[in-house]
Amino acid sequence: MEDYKFLFKVVLVGNAGVGKTCLVRRFTQGLFPPGQGATIGVDFMIKTVEVDGEKVKLQIWDTAGQERFRSITQSYYRSAHALILVYDISCQPTFDCLPDWLREIEEYANNKVLRILVGNKTDREDREIPRHIGEDFAQRHGMYFLETSAKEAENVERLFMEIAVELMEQAKCKELPKYDGSLGPINGKTSSVGDGSCCLR
Amino acid sequence: MDDDLPTDFQVIVVGTGLVESIVAAACSRIRKNVLHLDSRDHYGGLWASHNFEGLQKFIKEITTDPSRQLQVYNLIEKWYIPKESQEVKQEGEDGKTEDGKEAKKVWSQADFASEYRKFNIDMTPKLLFARGPLVELLISSNIARYAEFRCVTRVLTWMSDKLMPVPCSRADVFATEAVSIVEKRMLMKMLTSIVGYNEEEMDNEFKDWTDKTFQEYLTHKGLTPNLIHYVLYAIAGGTNAMPCLEGVRECKKFLMSLGRYGNTPFLWPMYGSGELPQCFCRLCAVFGGVYCLNRPIDTVENKTVDDKKVVVIESKSKTLTCDHLVLGINEGPKDLLSQEHSDSSDISRAVFITNGTIMSSEKEPLTLLRFPPLNEDNNATTVLEVGPATGSCPKGLFVVYFITNKVVDAETDLMPYAQKIFDMSGGEQTEASDKPKCLWSLFYNVKDTSATVRDGVEGVHVCAGPDAGLDFDRAVHQAEEIFKKICPGEEFLPRAPDPEEIVFEDDVTHGPEFQGEQEDADGDKE
Repeated sequence: MEDYKFLFKVVLVGNAGVGKTCLVRRFTQGLFPPGQGATIGVDFMIKTVEVDGEKVKLQIWDTAGQERFRSITQSYYRSAHALILVYDISCQPTFDCLPDWLREIEEYANNKVLRILVGNKTDREDREIPRHIGEDFAQRHGMYFLETSAKEAENVERLFMEIAVELMEQAKCKELPKYDGSLGPINGKTSSVGDGSCCLR
Repeated sequence: MDDDLPTDFQVIVVGTGLVESIVAAACSRIRKNVLHLDSRDHYGGLWASHNFEGLQKFIKEITTDPSRQLQVYNLIEKWYIPKESQEVKQEGEDGKTEDGKEAKKVWSQADFASEYRKFNIDMTPKLLFARGPLVELLISSNIARYAEFRCVTRVLTWMSDKLMPVPCSRADVFATEAVSIVEKRMLMKMLTSIVGYNEEEMDNEFKDWTDKTFQEYLTHKGLTPNLIHYVLYAIAGGTNAMPCLEGVRECKKFLMSLGRYGNTPFLWPMYGSGELPQCFCRLCAVFGGVYCLNRPIDTVENKTVDDKKVVVIESKSKTLTCDHLVLGINEGPKDLLSQEHSDSSDISRAVFITNGTIMSSEKEPLTLLRFPPLNEDNNATTVLEVGPATGSCPKGLFVVYFITNKVVDAETDLMPYAQKIFDMSGGEQTEASDKPKCLWSLFYNVKDTSATVRDGVEGVHVCAGPDAGLDFDRAVHQAEEIFKKICPGEEFLPRAPDPEEIVFEDDVTHGPEFQGEQEDADGDKE
């Protein structure tokens, strides 16, 4: 089972109700959970994908509902390789909060983390944020941009695959340490492999 | 946004210190409905790690708000470097000095400010014994997956007016040149026998030693002064007055934790000890705990609702009710708690930022240094030195923590020790010296108190603040005690399932089932 070459930690942030959990479950399980409230019981989910014939394991972390009152633990951001910031294209306040989220990301995440802005719920007919507004924002803040619909499975696969490809690329040219099973589940680039670094298992 | 806050809970926890956070996680894990609040905008309270900006904010709060000096007092911050960078001299010499070594960076206060994010400075630095209660709890509960650790690479002591490495393992003992072969045999024999004793044998072996000191025992065993120093001060972390049995138990604890993860018995949490409460908070949230920082509470009282006694809390003009309130000692309304000093004294702490390690080594070291008391009135002093690899500071710097039981005040208690290992002159940073230069220092005392709840208020459980001990034993123990009172007969933090074990059913509104045997649930099979 453990025959993958790379393991990457991907974390999702954004306001409550923008569809973070739905994106994760659409991608990892191919389903859209209807009418779910806040996220309960989901810690992180795992999916192994193939890039250029190599197995890449994506560990996708959800906020566990701590975003509801803006109380995400800093440790959530530690050792993340990619960070997906999600808003709801049919809900202006979720877009207006993006600068607050960016500030939090700047503060706690590694500054080399791959950042992706996602406008979710393109299936909705009551769009409030035009596509180009989202695109502009992403460009200004050095982020990738994609619009998705977890409900219609639109661009969800693409979102995570592009992350996997990009991280692979980065890992290869920066010669990031390969994931070594003995180190336990979290093996971020900020902690070097080997000498003295360890995880409890 | 806070107005959406639900109001009825089984358990409300106020304060995100380690004890409170463990209790919150344990209650949520067995599906109690938990609300977890903190009056501040960050997790951890006095258990937190701060970046340099956060630390400045903390210092300012303490020095300007007298009510906060009930917990932290005698705080003194000092700089030993200029405010702004000086003009760069000798440009174009490849940054090398004459002897070919890389030139040391010259730090200014402005550099600290611009690199503030790279600092994670602990308010309560502690180590984990590799087989101590916190490590065992992190593993058995599966919370270890939220944290990363580094092994302490060496244990040092102060002997004959200089730093000396302490041989910890069998290999170390045989490799060291500081002790003779005869001494090595003696030491190994004694250490092996201590590890071998079970409780009964220990009671038996030491029945005549109950009112004697560990030092007397070691002398009786024929150990030379060198060996007594290693065992008493460095391994047992004691003083001349340490009772024999306590010394034996401390030694045993040290030795039992050897060989699990590295060359020493200790682990250090990446990014500082402040990560640990957050790991427990994350688990609590994963199982449905509701989190809200920046939410102080104003009053606490009991009421009877539908023939049931509940705790009623007023917070920002909102009324919250619960069966049990778990309260961090520094979070409670003043009239609710009557503070009483615990048996141990207050804590003297110091933090130093230096431009090099106290003893050079091939790879970046992570050091525990145990100082014997420098004079008779003092207590033993614990020193922890951590570097950039732990996520504590930018490259080129080290963060060094000093901890002891208070005698006079933090600066008076700890400055003599600091002067032994640092250059505190504030002179040129590039100038060669055998000691690292101190660039910044902070001294403060912390109250070690416990408290009881005002008579007539029920269902409130108070958590003590941080203690001076090296490990987290007291916090874990206290959290388990509180949990047992709230949830008698329930398991304390049973293992949380791995993501691979979680099986979703469609249309479920409750949390996922734990199905340990099921595999392939992670959807990665095509």
